[in-house]
Amino acid sequence: MTALLTIILSFIGALVCGLMPSSAHRRIRWVALAVAAAGLVVSMVCCVNYPGGKFADLVETDWIPSLGIGFITGYDGISLPLLLVTGLVAVCGVLFSWTLESRANQFYAFYFALIGGVYGVFLSLDLFLLFVFYEIAVVPKYFLITIWGGARRQFAAMKLVLYSFGGSALVLLGMLAVFFLAHDPSGEALKTFNLLELQQGQVPAAAQQWIFPLIFVGFAIMAGMWPFHTWAPTGHVAAPTAASMLLAGVVMKLGAYGCLRVAVGLLPAGAQDWAPWVAVVAVINIVYGALVALKQDDFKYVIGYSSVSHMGFVLLGIATLNLTGMTGAVLQMFSHGVIGALLFALVGTVIYSRTKTRMLDELHRLIDRMPGIAWVFIVAGLASMGLPGFSGFVSELYVLIGAWGTLSGWIVAGAGLGILATFGYTLVKIHEAFFRERKTSDPGDAEISYPAMTMPEKIGVAILLGSALLIGLCPWLLTDKISPSLELMLDRFPN
Amino acid sequence: MDYQQLLLALLPDLLVVVALFAALGVDYSRMRGSRLAKRYQVACQISAAGLIAGLAVLVLQIAETMSVMETSTADGQLVLTRSTLTLKALLYAMGLGVLPLAKRDQITPQVSEYFALLLLATLGMGFVVTSRNLLGAFVALELVSLSLYAMTVLNQARRASAEAALKYLTFGAVASGFLLFGLSYLYGATGQLDLTQMTGLTDEPMLVLAYLLIFVGLGFKLALAPFHLWAPDVYQNAPTPVAGWIGSGSKIAAAALLIALLKPVSSTLKDALIPALAALAVLSMVVGNLGALRQTNLKRLLAYSAIANAGYLLVGVVAFSAAGNASVIFYILVYSLASLGAFGVVAVLTDTLGRDAEISDFNGCWKTTPGLAVAFLVFVLSLAGIPPLAGFLGKFYLFFAAIEAAPEAASWNDGFYWLVAFALIMSVVSLYYYLRVLKAFLVAPADDGAAIAPVKTGWAAGVTLCVLALAVVALGLWPEPLLDLLRN
Repeated sequence: MTALLTIILSFIGALVCGLMPSSAHRRIRWVALAVAAAGLVVSMVCCVNYPGGKFADLVETDWIPSLGIGFITGYDGISLPLLLVTGLVAVCGVLFSWTLESRANQFYAFYFALIGGVYGVFLSLDLFLLFVFYEIAVVPKYFLITIWGGARRQFAAMKLVLYSFGGSALVLLGMLAVFFLAHDPSGEALKTFNLLELQQGQVPAAAQQWIFPLIFVGFAIMAGMWPFHTWAPTGHVAAPTAASMLLAGVVMKLGAYGCLRVAVGLLPAGAQDWAPWVAVVAVINIVYGALVALKQDDFKYVIGYSSVSHMGFVLLGIATLNLTGMTGAVLQMFSHGVIGALLFALVGTVIYSRTKTRMLDELHRLIDRMPGIAWVFIVAGLASMGLPGFSGFVSELYVLIGAWGTLSGWIVAGAGLGILATFGYTLVKIHEAFFRERKTSDPGDAEISYPAMTMPEKIGVAILLGSALLIGLCPWLLTDKISPSLELMLDRFPN
Repeated sequence: MDYQQLLLALLPDLLVVVALFAALGVDYSRMRGSRLAKRYQVACQISAAGLIAGLAVLVLQIAETMSVMETSTADGQLVLTRSTLTLKALLYAMGLGVLPLAKRDQITPQVSEYFALLLLATLGMGFVVTSRNLLGAFVALELVSLSLYAMTVLNQARRASAEAALKYLTFGAVASGFLLFGLSYLYGATGQLDLTQMTGLTDEPMLVLAYLLIFVGLGFKLALAPFHLWAPDVYQNAPTPVAGWIGSGSKIAAAALLIALLKPVSSTLKDALIPALAALAVLSMVVGNLGALRQTNLKRLLAYSAIANAGYLLVGVVAFSAAGNASVIFYILVYSLASLGAFGVVAVLTDTLGRDAEISDFNGCWKTTPGLAVAFLVFVLSLAGIPPLAGFLGKFYLFFAAIEAAPEAASWNDGFYWLVAFALIMSVVSLYYYLRVLKAFLVAPADDGAAIAPVKTGWAAGVTLCVLALAVVALGLWPEPLLDLLRN
């Protein structure tokens, strides 16, 4: 039951915040912080109590038995890091929206409905339930972006929602096929959405050939897979800070998690056949995302495309289909979750609220004018680039080691190229934002120095950067939990 | 069957008929000189009392305190089982929900006629779902249609209303002709009027033709493309509560009749009919969803959404299985709840507006009428098929049943994977226009050309909308009891 509390608390939080008067925004933000923190605490308790390997904390009840649907929740080493990252990002999202006043009650109602859906996906052990939570998470995004977003928000929100639902349509079709085609080892049809039972059974290999791409692509759209990634940069940029933190930090992981848990977990034969293609697309993601980031003038777009690039490593890790690579993929989900969210928070709130612009060529030597913030961003940017000591380095290393030998040398070379491009855009963009003099000759506010970070901002930065550092220095905190669960999944693979 | 039994079986209908005449009588005599508002109130109260009494008796019948269960009169004129009685009860309950909405929009001085026609339509729907006799069902369906034609034109101040009603009437009359023609062929081929006595109908040309004609007739009632042309005009120009009732109750009746008519079909005839049904499904989904994309009028948009939803409905019909039939009835029920709710919100919001319900008229409802905006969110998300609302489960069950009919597909056009895939793609398209509507209600700032002033919902309409919204949520979270009932 413990883990289920995250879902329940979030939905109750949504209801409570929604019913409070919007004029009480000061009280609402404390309520929101409390709800988000409670979710984080529950995830941490789950993490501490987790015995390892198998699914823990199972809750199994019938829901719609006549359609083979149950209400089954639980978590294992794959979902744990994602529960943690959801908790972390949820708390920091509230901290970085501390000054929000307009329609605050509705904002947090949608915010927690989204978070509840996300927790739900990570905890569901029934395919139907997982799908329900996956869709619950989509609609609030639309409203978060259209109501509180920035320029071009209507377009971005609609695009994001249509891409999401396009993906879910593919998933639903594949899911129904799995339901009817899966059978147990004796050949008897299972007719269930229960993931635990489906994992014990199997889908005929011929059917896996066409079901795997349906489900994988359906979920991978949400993970920002090329060529269906275009919702991500526009959506991230138009979203308000807390929403883009959630989008980059958590929602993209929903897709990747679905790919791993459902597509690879239930259709291993299909995964083996399609893995080379997934790897190719993953490398395109890495290289293309990085190169496009290099060309952006809008600071938020840079981070948006860097997200696409980093999600490529997750897909590449999944494509390796071996323990090291997949551990790297899950670790990368955590790592990008915290670092991506941090970068969006810094660009979207901390820097933007001071400079009132995100265009890189309008920024003027911020290193002199907001030195503290600049240094924080430089550290975060380097962490995102893969600086040793931070979690991104470890996870990408795992993925590359996993890819080495299993996948073609070209793939590994391509990923290496991607890393070089990542170095390139990180350093170039840091230079442009913080060290370069403004291109326009307009002196304007060039001499003004900006106020330092506020207390909520400092705490948020500390939490996110701290967790990236902690996992970077002690990756075994998570890998010890991830690997045994992945091993169980890989044991079911045909040789 | 003796007369006492018949009296017990028809008691709900009798009570409604009594209320109908009471409403007419009281309005013609005592209320003649009263204020319009007063007359509306009295007529509404009498009608409501009739429907509540009828509903109470129905509940007793379903609970088997009245021994009418499993009765059937000669030739299947009346087949009372738990599921048919439940459908009838739900129709009465929904009819009851229309009354307070009708009371609010006082569009016509012919007060008691308005309510009498509403009751007649409800009565007819009740008979359609409980009858398994070709003639009985046809007559009942005509009772529904004629009442609806008349109600469409009630707003005499609007020219468009008359045009829409005329269109509805002429198209409807032709469609009824087709339906009757089809039913007579069916009778000619089987020599039976009683649907429960028919079994294993094979693919002889006469029967295929009979069913194709029936599809035309019922396709009109369900607003399936290409028989949908009346729908947008009627939905837009009929009084809003009437449009709501056309879009919900009459759809339930027509869908139930379609399922009853298709039950005796054997597998050879089934294979002959599937292409026609699949074509209607695809066409309706395309016409409905693409048509809705460019609508600026909310009621017209809901009409196109109804066309699209009728298309989804056929995805369950082509399964030709017990699950398929149950899924169709479940879907049309949850669709009707949401559709009636959406029209209810529009009715409450626009009766002070005095003009068409353009989407932009609803800008800023989140501020002026937050409760109604939230209710509308629930209804529209259910229409769009977003979990955990009932509309999602309904759609899921339709697709589930269609795939179940032939899960092992060797090529893409085996089974119904292609049809389900098409329906899924179309639901993604539909999201665009549903979100556009919700944007007006929930996103747009209040000062952005808003025409809606804060309105008083009134307790009756408020309770109706609340119950509908809760039903949409509850059937999404806990559908098992209703599903169980429908499968039998």
